[in-house]
Amino acid sequence: MMIIANSVKIRNFNLSLFIVVLLLFSCKSDNNTIRIKGSDTEVNLVADISESFHTINPKLLVSISGGGSGLGIASLINGTTDIANSSRRINKKEIEIFYNKSIQIDSFIFAQDAIAFVVSENVNINSISTSDLSKILNGTYSTWSQLTRENLPVNIYGRQSNSGTYDFVKNKLGIEFSTHAKQMNGNAQILEAIKADNSGIGYVGAGYLIHGGIQGLKALTIFTDEPTEAVSPLDAKKISIGAYFFQRPLYQYFKVMDYKKVKPFLDFEKSEKGKKIIHSSGYYPVEL
Amino acid sequence: MSIKKRERIDWLFKQIFKTTGFITISLLGGIFFMLLYNTVSFFIEINPIDFFTGSQWNPSSVKSKFSIVPLAISTGLVAFGSMLIAVPLGILTAAYISELAPKKLQNILKPVIEMLAAIPSVAIGFLGIVLLGPALAKLFGIQNGLNALNGSILLALMALPTIITISEDAINAVPHTHREASLALGANKWETLFKVTIPAAMPGLIAAVMLGLGRALGETMTVLMATGNASAIPSGFLDSIRTITATIAIEMGEVPYQTTHYFALFAIAAVLFLITFIINLLGEYFANRLRKFHH
Repeated sequence: MMIIANSVKIRNFNLSLFIVVLLLFSCKSDNNTIRIKGSDTEVNLVADISESFHTINPKLLVSISGGGSGLGIASLINGTTDIANSSRRINKKEIEIFYNKSIQIDSFIFAQDAIAFVVSENVNINSISTSDLSKILNGTYSTWSQLTRENLPVNIYGRQSNSGTYDFVKNKLGIEFSTHAKQMNGNAQILEAIKADNSGIGYVGAGYLIHGGIQGLKALTIFTDEPTEAVSPLDAKKISIGAYFFQRPLYQYFKVMDYKKVKPFLDFEKSEKGKKIIHSSGYYPVEL
Repeated sequence: MSIKKRERIDWLFKQIFKTTGFITISLLGGIFFMLLYNTVSFFIEINPIDFFTGSQWNPSSVKSKFSIVPLAISTGLVAFGSMLIAVPLGILTAAYISELAPKKLQNILKPVIEMLAAIPSVAIGFLGIVLLGPALAKLFGIQNGLNALNGSILLALMALPTIITISEDAINAVPHTHREASLALGANKWETLFKVTIPAAMPGLIAAVMLGLGRALGETMTVLMATGNASAIPSGFLDSIRTITATIAIEMGEVPYQTTHYFALFAIAAVLFLITFIINLLGEYFANRLRKFHH
């Protein structure tokens, strides 16, 4: 009995070894697949683009996954992706690592994204200054009383720290997030939470508002302390002239030695068709 | 078959079994060594006193803060809460199944409870987001149900099969003569159960609780999804928490290898490993006592 059980185990072991070897071989980067990894903000957009890219270039396969900008760049470092989607600029530490490994990288900005600050429509506020926003997000205001005269607690719904959106908001305002800020798994979860919470505030990519539905929610217009008018994150015209405070370029990083391989895809993103997809997905194409 | 051939086959199998055994041990040793090595690298850069006494975990800020305290409190809180729910429920269910339930019901209950263990943790986490979260928010009049209580309830659900199965074995293992003696002295069914059977099965019950606790401490996906992941030190069950496991899962993707932050994740993993290791050891110890008692 023992021997039978064990010999089965050994056979299974061999089989699994075989599968592992098979996987290892199939993981070796071949030239027909462009692997794209990174920002969760960009993943839907790039997936849309690659779908129509595939109809034009059926020979080239594109595999896309999310996981956050930090993950994308780490994957580029570790050699498990060809393009790293990143909604933030590559940071000093990461540049240093590429430098130490003597890998040359290049970047490509293919679209502009706007971050919307969202509250429930029951919150009595339509626009907010960047300084008030800072005080809310870093925990100085623990209730809404300073802004809306309602004594409700501020609940912050943010992204997890491996998200480029998290870094972007933090750096743009120059704050540290309150430690009471909840870290949600993604844009959709943030929107759902705020729909249910009449005193919550959160930030999501504007693209998610257009697709995820804005019912029951409000996107705050934002103004800076200089006397300018408040700008909505859904205002394409204002964003194309760079007037919205929380707008950012969406980057794609790649190794210079891979340029030939990824060029067809980058070219497609720049084309008229690519721009159209970018716009209809709720992002703003870069004017060339 | 000649004797020589037989001996050769015998020898061959002996070697194969030996290797498989050693592979497991060396894997464990390798993991342990890697944890230890990276943890030491971390403590070369960061003072252990700060690590164990600070109050903030915020590695991505300019002045990186690495303190396990808020994470450890979160993990402790959610695990403790889950045991508060799962222990009485689990032991009473086990007592019911082994002592009171009719045979037919017993045959249904046991497999159904064991099925609970087969639900993937990600599915349970999903329930926590869409079902339990909103329900808790409504029940307690709070804005959002992603908090320690949510995590505790879900973890209790996940620890229940372990606790019930082992408790049931423990209660079954109490010799019949104990019960008969108690009944003969005039004790009724309840007195026998609470004053004789359960105390006699105590080592086994403790083992069950320890193993269930180990399960709750190490669970990742469910707490990551359902507890809100706010890294402030929680002040109660209705606060969002961020456990050690969730922190590792969230942050490991973003860290460049061989940086302080990377080593920090290994350090908190090592602490978690140590805690679960001790708890499993205790569980095994009590389970062994039960075995001795049984024979």
